[in-house]
Amino acid sequence: MARPAATRLLSALAALDGRRARGCAVAVLVLALVAGGGLLFRAQQLTGSPSARNAALTDHAATSRVSGEVGDALARVFSYTPEGLDDTEQAARELLAGKAARQYETLFARVRRQAREQKLTLATRVVETGVTRLRGDRAELLVFLDQTTTRADRKPTSAAAQLSVTARRQHGDWRIVALTAR
Amino acid sequence: MAPTAGEERARAGRFAAGGPVRAVAVMLTLAALCCAVWAGFTWYAAAHDDTLAYAATRDEVREAGEQAVQNLNTLDHRRLEADLDSWEDSTTGELRAQLKKGRKQFAQQIRAARTVSSARILSSAVAELDERAGRAGVLVAVRTTVEAPKEKPATKQTRMRAELTRTSHGWKLSALAQVPVGYTADTPDERD
Repeated sequence: MARPAATRLLSALAALDGRRARGCAVAVLVLALVAGGGLLFRAQQLTGSPSARNAALTDHAATSRVSGEVGDALARVFSYTPEGLDDTEQAARELLAGKAARQYETLFARVRRQAREQKLTLATRVVETGVTRLRGDRAELLVFLDQTTTRADRKPTSAAAQLSVTARRQHGDWRIVALTAR
Repeated sequence: MAPTAGEERARAGRFAAGGPVRAVAVMLTLAALCCAVWAGFTWYAAAHDDTLAYAATRDEVREAGEQAVQNLNTLDHRRLEADLDSWEDSTTGELRAQLKKGRKQFAQQIRAARTVSSARILSSAVAELDERAGRAGVLVAVRTTVEAPKEKPATKQTRMRAELTRTSHGWKLSALAQVPVGYTADTPDERD
């Protein structure tokens, strides 16, 4: 009659002197717990470090998605024509949130006046985008922009801009929540 | 207090083959062994995880890039040789060769001008990293200050792209350039 392995093991252990078997079992138990605990701790150190949890570049799809969306957002909210100011403001309402949205509102009130009076056109182009940190629904980026301003009857002038951007994903889409000119 | 003979027998009975306490003890030990094996696999997977290694390299590259850009924007005429040594230490390949070649003449110019240049890294990000080829591109926003005698310090914020190459002494700068504006312009950024 074939006996289950566990039963066979139990009777094998029973054949040993009781006290010795107990000693062995306790030693194995302690060893297993210490080794297991140590290994788990080390594994946690490896996977739980800020470096490991930063998905910038390591998650290629997520990195290019946030780069693309943030780049597009910047190009849209920092581009306007005297006639299309409402469109730009509407875009900003969709693409900015939090502190960035409040800052933008203040700025845009001024822009609105200037753009109408001086027939100002601003075109913003993303030159380079790098993701510094990406963790879950929060990302920090460094973006280089070219901004071309055109005043009525004058030659366009361009300027370099570099921005630190904090973005947060809300309902699946990335929105810019903070902007710092660098 | 020593256990009586009766208690000893009773305990021996509970630990005997098929006794409930013994069965539980064996199960516990087996469970602990299984957990230890599982922990071993978990650790092994983490230690040999390509993504984790790539993340560590990315951070190493970013740090090396920041340090190299900082070094190459730092130059004090009072400790010229040390600063120029650090320029050479931070670079590799063609860039390093160029720096070495122009070092003497450049040192003379700086000694004559008596300038002190310093830099502060404002922000940085690794834009590309090819671990196999050992090449990376890092974006850096930096504020540089140049002080010359009898002149106001000139501060300027620039955007740079640094190319890094892996060497036996870590990641070194193989190219450094300001990212130019696509059009001809010299107006400052009005949006602060």
